[in-house]
Amino acid sequence: MGPLIPQDIINGDLNFFFALILGIAFGFILEQAGFSSSRKLAGVFYGYDFVVLKVFFTAGVTAATGLFFLKYLGWVNFDLLYINPLYLWSAIIGGIIMGFGFILGGFCPGTSLTAAVIGKIDAWFFIIGMFLGIFVFGVFYPFFKPLHMGSFLGSPFIYDTLGISQKWFLFWLIVIAVIAFMVTQLIEDNSTKFKELHNTQKLSLKYPVLFLFILACIALWLPQQRLSFANEKTKEVMTKVILSDKRYINTEKVAYNIINNQKDLYLIDVRSVQEYNDFHLPGANNIPLNDILNPSSLKNLVQKDKSTVLYSNSSVNADMAWFLITRYGFDNIYVLNGGLNKFYNDIFLEKKTHEGNSVEAVSEARFIKEARTFFKEGRANNESSVEKSIPKPTDAPLKAVKGGC
Amino acid sequence: MENKIKHEVKPYMNPYLAGFLLGVVLMITFFITGRGLGASGAIKSAVIVTVGKIAPATAQKSSFFEEYFSGAHSPLKSWLVFEVLGVLIGGFLSGFLSGRLTLKIDKGPKVKNITRLIFAVVGGSLFGIGSQLGRGCTSGAALSGMAVFSTAGFLTMMAIFGTGYIIAYFFRKLWI
Repeated sequence: MGPLIPQDIINGDLNFFFALILGIAFGFILEQAGFSSSRKLAGVFYGYDFVVLKVFFTAGVTAATGLFFLKYLGWVNFDLLYINPLYLWSAIIGGIIMGFGFILGGFCPGTSLTAAVIGKIDAWFFIIGMFLGIFVFGVFYPFFKPLHMGSFLGSPFIYDTLGISQKWFLFWLIVIAVIAFMVTQLIEDNSTKFKELHNTQKLSLKYPVLFLFILACIALWLPQQRLSFANEKTKEVMTKVILSDKRYINTEKVAYNIINNQKDLYLIDVRSVQEYNDFHLPGANNIPLNDILNPSSLKNLVQKDKSTVLYSNSSVNADMAWFLITRYGFDNIYVLNGGLNKFYNDIFLEKKTHEGNSVEAVSEARFIKEARTFFKEGRANNESSVEKSIPKPTDAPLKAVKGGC
Repeated sequence: MENKIKHEVKPYMNPYLAGFLLGVVLMITFFITGRGLGASGAIKSAVIVTVGKIAPATAQKSSFFEEYFSGAHSPLKSWLVFEVLGVLIGGFLSGFLSGRLTLKIDKGPKVKNITRLIFAVVGGSLFGIGSQLGRGCTSGAALSGMAVFSTAGFLTMMAIFGTGYIIAYFFRKLWI
């Protein structure tokens, strides 16, 4: 099911709207928790106020546990989530510099925004500092670049790095959080400094600890992780969609789309990189069949408001790719019927005969002729010069494309 | 006078409740958009646009600013920019409802205003540079990274707080 926007379940245009709403919630909670006070934030390093640790750790554990369960239930596909890439030394040194920034400045970026907007003058200066820092980084980027782009290790998960299972990692994370809460509460209670900062609703530590402990136990007692993908289709559904030929899209529709520079179709070339480099349809992206289920490929299988069309030399490899990703859970994926060979025959060779004098037959013949000139003269590679006068192929092709199985 | 104001100020939310709510918001963010929350990225966009507009010659010298020239639309039309606008609105709403809208400088008891402000600029600059190297700040790298179990997120988080604890003693006069 999720994430919703990367899979086009919710229209991507709403993305900015959600950004605003989620941002409002984020800012509201930060301010309510007291993150708009640099003194409260700095308290975590001096033992008089551990609000940062409490809020931060609770939020991290809650979100991690929630996503763990959503993944288990098959409601969220981790392959489609943004997992922070790891550039080892850049991450460590960046973190160390931010540690200095935290102690000296008393804020981190998100908290400084909520502080600035309620009138904290020190936060305004912190934000000015951030502008300066990023400006300096930008101007001297060539100097920082080797560090910034070096020691790349992919996007590993912490439990893989530590060599333990995800549920045990989650369990220990919760245990550490609970211990941290209890120890810091003790330190805070014994600290005599700045009691006036502790103008906070009281709630016994019992409830959060109990709640987290229950979550940890459920995580451990869950039966073996399900192996199916998030939206995997059943055998029955697959049998039905394979027998249907609705996935095929014909040459004319694809050619029409390319010629008129319409952005309704998203073409994916599933042949090898070398074949793709030798020749490919204008605007096509290359994802070789063997890589089609890689996480990086899965993120590039659909584009906003477009129907994906797979093609190979014939229909065979494209059909295989179609099968894999449809089974994986994608819908509205199409296959160029007959592949590049048929495309070539239809457009370039004058084999196709058009019988009859019906309006459809005549206009289709005229379209093929136009398309032939278009591709032969190489205009296909020069999208700006496309003329609008090219006639449409028979029937309105794009409606059929959008219908889908 | 002082007392009167204090009476109107509502207490801060219980930190565990705030953390739980924040975690739920973060989880929903991942569920809907496939990405986490952030803050420093929006400031980066603002810097790129400002420099691109004011000093295009400077911007062209470094590939850091190339987004300004190459992108199909302005770097300001980004997810994080809208999210940060939300943060500002949300923070203001919260401060307004809890009676915390006041112009003031928060600082340790032994520090002069000017010292606090200078250190705020220095700290902000360091956070600016650090967040670029760390590919996100406490929100984008550490918190969001923790939510999806990313090694990079945990590593950056440990580096931030580890450094904080190691150096806290040397800068104690700023805060206690």
